[in-house]
Amino acid sequence: MMWHFFRYLSFSAYRGLGIGRRLLFLIIFFSSLITLVATAIQLYTDYRRDLSIIKTRLHDIESSYLGSISASLWNLDIQQLRLQLEGISQLPDIQAASVQENPENVSDPLQISRGEVRGNNVITRQYPIVHILADGPRQIGTLTVQASLSEVYTRLRQKAVVILLSQGVKTFIVSLFILFIVHRLITSHLIHISERVSQFEISQKQPPLSLQRTPPPEPDELDQVVNAFNTLSRNLRQAYEHMHEVNNALAKDIIARRQAEEEVKRLNAVLEQRVRQRTAELEAANQELASFCYSVSHDLRAPLRRIEGFRRILNDRYHDRVDEQGQHYLNRIAAGTHEMAEMIDSFLRLSRATQGELKVEIVDLSSLLKRMASEYREREPDRVAEINIQDEVRAPVDRHFFTMLLSNLFDNAWKYSSRKDITRLSFGFEEKEGERIYFVRDNGDGFDMQYADRLFAPFSRLHKSEEFEGVGIGLATVQRIITRHGGRIWAESRPGEGATFYFTLWERNTEREEGNHTVSRG
Amino acid sequence: MKKETILLVEDDPDEAELALFGFGKVGGDYDIQLTRNGEEALDFLFARGCHAERPDSRKPNLVILDLDLPRVNGFEVLKQLRQSTDYRYTPVVILTTSDEQSDILQGYQLGVNSYLCKPVDFESFADLLQQVSHYWLRNNAIPDHHKQAR
Repeated sequence: MMWHFFRYLSFSAYRGLGIGRRLLFLIIFFSSLITLVATAIQLYTDYRRDLSIIKTRLHDIESSYLGSISASLWNLDIQQLRLQLEGISQLPDIQAASVQENPENVSDPLQISRGEVRGNNVITRQYPIVHILADGPRQIGTLTVQASLSEVYTRLRQKAVVILLSQGVKTFIVSLFILFIVHRLITSHLIHISERVSQFEISQKQPPLSLQRTPPPEPDELDQVVNAFNTLSRNLRQAYEHMHEVNNALAKDIIARRQAEEEVKRLNAVLEQRVRQRTAELEAANQELASFCYSVSHDLRAPLRRIEGFRRILNDRYHDRVDEQGQHYLNRIAAGTHEMAEMIDSFLRLSRATQGELKVEIVDLSSLLKRMASEYREREPDRVAEINIQDEVRAPVDRHFFTMLLSNLFDNAWKYSSRKDITRLSFGFEEKEGERIYFVRDNGDGFDMQYADRLFAPFSRLHKSEEFEGVGIGLATVQRIITRHGGRIWAESRPGEGATFYFTLWERNTEREEGNHTVSRG
Repeated sequence: MKKETILLVEDDPDEAELALFGFGKVGGDYDIQLTRNGEEALDFLFARGCHAERPDSRKPNLVILDLDLPRVNGFEVLKQLRQSTDYRYTPVVILTTSDEQSDILQGYQLGVNSYLCKPVDFESFADLLQQVSHYWLRNNAIPDHHKQAR
């Protein structure tokens, strides 16, 4: 138990002032204060008492000695006076006594003294020595008595030292005892509790906290603390277990979710792989189709040439032998082969527009179109045409493909406005929301907007072929070229009021080769 | 007046017939020899094999060559022509349906004089044949030593 106590003392020494120490200091401080005050009061009382004893003594001297000294002095019995003074000076606290004859009466006044006279801490009393004569009392001398206080002070000092020492020792012992009691009754248990609390492990089952002592008959505050702690830890444990269960459930949930996610990821990967494969297959198929298309178109030329050739031979060599009906059929064959040849040619152009590398450079579209316009004028010098081409329109495009594209658009515009008295064609661009939109406009026949989406599909014609020549593959080619230039193309028109073809180039967020493009904007 | 000899190398009989027909009236001005494959063409050119009897006077002055030929293809014929001293400068015209860039390039690398794609339109085809013959045989001049070698 004592070992515990010292351990506690040293423990609390470096843990700051523990309760015990603070208690000790407070007790010592307060007890010392009380002791000091009590001692002071006691000493003061003692001092007063001693002082009054001295005064009483002096008073006694006055009453008991003054008469006889007066008589002795009157009789000049010096022997007697000496004895009397000796008696006075032998009294406690009296330091010195002297008798002096009144100098007014005699020329050589008598002076007798006993004891040493010191100046410090003395009370000096002078009593007149009066002798009753017939003519009344007459002062014949003076008795001087000096009482010393130094003994009083010494006594007081000794008393003070004794009181302080005994009180100090008592206080210290009592304090130690209190400290020991406090430690025994409270602090050691508090330390025990605190150790248990600090060792508290929520995830482990631990025996309930109990105090190492013989339990008091009635549960005290420490028992309350222990009970509160046990209840708290039980509740905590229950809460923790509950949380643990919830956590476990959550963890299971998370695992399930993760598995599901992984499954989704796996499926996605499979899907992506499949998509990639399909895309690759599709691309391959497309490539194959494109080259197939090219070679078929190409190969079709040879037999077509033969048909045309032999028709020509029939026509030339057997002219005489073929009747009019036969001639008509031969002409129909000629028309058919001509149409087919054109189809094949435009097919090949379309095919080439999809293939081959783009060589993008800054091309002056204006001068390209001006050259085309002058060619149209030369071809049909009688046609009245106002061709309005915006100057200095330059764009980063492939020159070869764009020549093809612009000639297609201008061909169309020229072709479909042939029935107007005055052909009006224009080219330029507008800026809309920071985007440059190029246009080719004519005042020709136009088309119904409800067919606008068919405009760019291969082999679709909105006009009868009798009205205008062509096989309807030009705009498909145009669209392919625009798409490859990262742009969109669309057209606006009203029947009989001309048509405008708009296109953009290098739009952001368009993939170069396979951008999504709008065919029309209603 | 001695007729100039044109060697026409064409495997397809229809095409050959059309070509001969295409020469039309001018066809009569030339001695046109048709061969059906590359090997036969080389035989005729170098007077060997089945054409060993070919007289020196019928040595071709112009070769019109198809590319897609059985046995020895057009490019091979062209190569052998350009390697021989006799035909180093003889005009050779490729007349074919292929307009593949690689074919055109190879033709010129091997030293062809003209690379012509057969027009679909027969009239243009006939025109082309006549113009080509006329140009290479009447208008075009070739180095003298070739004439001497003849």
